[in-house]
Amino acid sequence: MIANSSIADAAQGEASGYNFAYLDEQTKRMIRRALLKAVAIPGYQVPFGGREMPMPYGWGTGGMQLTASVLGADDTLKVIDQGADDTTNAVSIRAFFERVAGVETTTATGEASVIQTRHRIPEKTLRADQILIFQVPIPEPLRFIEPSEEETRVMHALEEYGVMHVKLYEDIAHHGHIATTYAYPVKVDGRYVMDPSPIPKFDNPKLHMSEALMLFGAGREKRLYAIPPHTRVESLDFEDHPFEIQAWEQPCAICGATDSYLDEVITDDQGGRMFVCSDTDYCNTRREDMA
Amino acid sequence: MNMTAPREESVRPHDWPGLTDAVHDAQQRFRRLLGCMSEPGTLTSMALPSLPPGAAISSAAWGTLLALCDLETRVWIDATLSGAGLAAALAFHTGARVTPDPANADFALVTPTTLTQVEEFALGSDAWPDRSTTLIVMVETIESQGDWQLCGPGVPGERRLGLGDPDQVRPLMRVLHANRGRFPRGLDAFITCGTQLTAIARSTRLSGPGLEQPELSSAREEIA
Repeated sequence: MIANSSIADAAQGEASGYNFAYLDEQTKRMIRRALLKAVAIPGYQVPFGGREMPMPYGWGTGGMQLTASVLGADDTLKVIDQGADDTTNAVSIRAFFERVAGVETTTATGEASVIQTRHRIPEKTLRADQILIFQVPIPEPLRFIEPSEEETRVMHALEEYGVMHVKLYEDIAHHGHIATTYAYPVKVDGRYVMDPSPIPKFDNPKLHMSEALMLFGAGREKRLYAIPPHTRVESLDFEDHPFEIQAWEQPCAICGATDSYLDEVITDDQGGRMFVCSDTDYCNTRREDMA
Repeated sequence: MNMTAPREESVRPHDWPGLTDAVHDAQQRFRRLLGCMSEPGTLTSMALPSLPPGAAISSAAWGTLLALCDLETRVWIDATLSGAGLAAALAFHTGARVTPDPANADFALVTPTTLTQVEEFALGSDAWPDRSTTLIVMVETIESQGDWQLCGPGVPGERRLGLGDPDQVRPLMRVLHANRGRFPRGLDAFITCGTQLTAIARSTRLSGPGLEQPELSSAREEIA
């Protein structure tokens, strides 16, 4: 059966000798069963038998294993790294799935059915027929407070999350405001505290009641978790220090957007700098629309 | 019930249909299952060539087993559903083991009536809620309107589900309704009828005829 699909792959001019989307079927089924648990228990980290991928941990091996398990021949894949389609990580992963799965790829958010992302959620609102797959470095939101996995597991079991608020409170005590700006902890459906991966807190509101299914994969830690569509996702905060997202004083220097997440770009050694959209597709689309 | 039991001579394991393509057919089925479990109460169809005569499970249930089972999974089968040599066919097509112990099952093939007799399915623990049995249920009808009201994750507002005679499916709905009180422990269910399939996740809040308001969880005993 595997031989058959390799022959089919070769006929389409892709890398031969690999199963469709690199992973073997047994591994995909194991990950698929874990994904079904993950969507049934939103925000809970399901362990899975993470495989070695042909790239180092930290480059998105968790996200890739989820993508490989979810992806079909008729999917269109988009891969972004910090919002950009043209950075090393995004280009490599996109090329990888072009070779081992032969799927169509795109940089246009609206045309993709599966989007693998590192550290951003696209600016364009996602639809119900899209799946967003996050690469996650450290899935445990309590890890920097409690290093023991045994302990954090019991804390999740008992819904013992007071310490997370203490950490945010310490921010306020030190800085006068909550200084956490990325990987900002959220509570999913009023139960599990979850690390949304190192997305800027600017993206946290997009997790709430999203139309699209969101899957999270951590390759080194071998955990995956999910937020189903239409699920309550609240960023932790205090009544007198409500959650706020970043804001900029100027619009994007390229497309003039005032509603997108901006990256600071240093332009010379004289202190010159500009702010531009981190989401390259969003920025390009706006520029083309204006032209 | 187990694989060594003599099988019915008339139906051989390979009379049961397999996946048309081990890679792409399985992937397409999984995406439908994922869609249903992440949006509980939505309907999908799982077309398959027809099952052999005497088969007591739905073709959607068989398609689910083909997509998800392998030699790492244990399946519990209700005695009334084991017709046409299901256990042998399952072993032949997927390599999955049939277990007589419901507490040990990754998947359980059941009818609503089964749930009045067998209660030992694995719920997982508060620390490991994923170590639970997923029910694959046979019902008489599935409609996107009817007695049962779903809300919670995956459901914008509320979604309706009709599963035929409410008295008949009430044992199932009672069990799934109880998920709320013991969350994150609980049972997830794929509900099937012919080629039709829907799902109810343990995170789903259910209401309908004969279901009481959820009790607050008093049982927190199972932590590890």
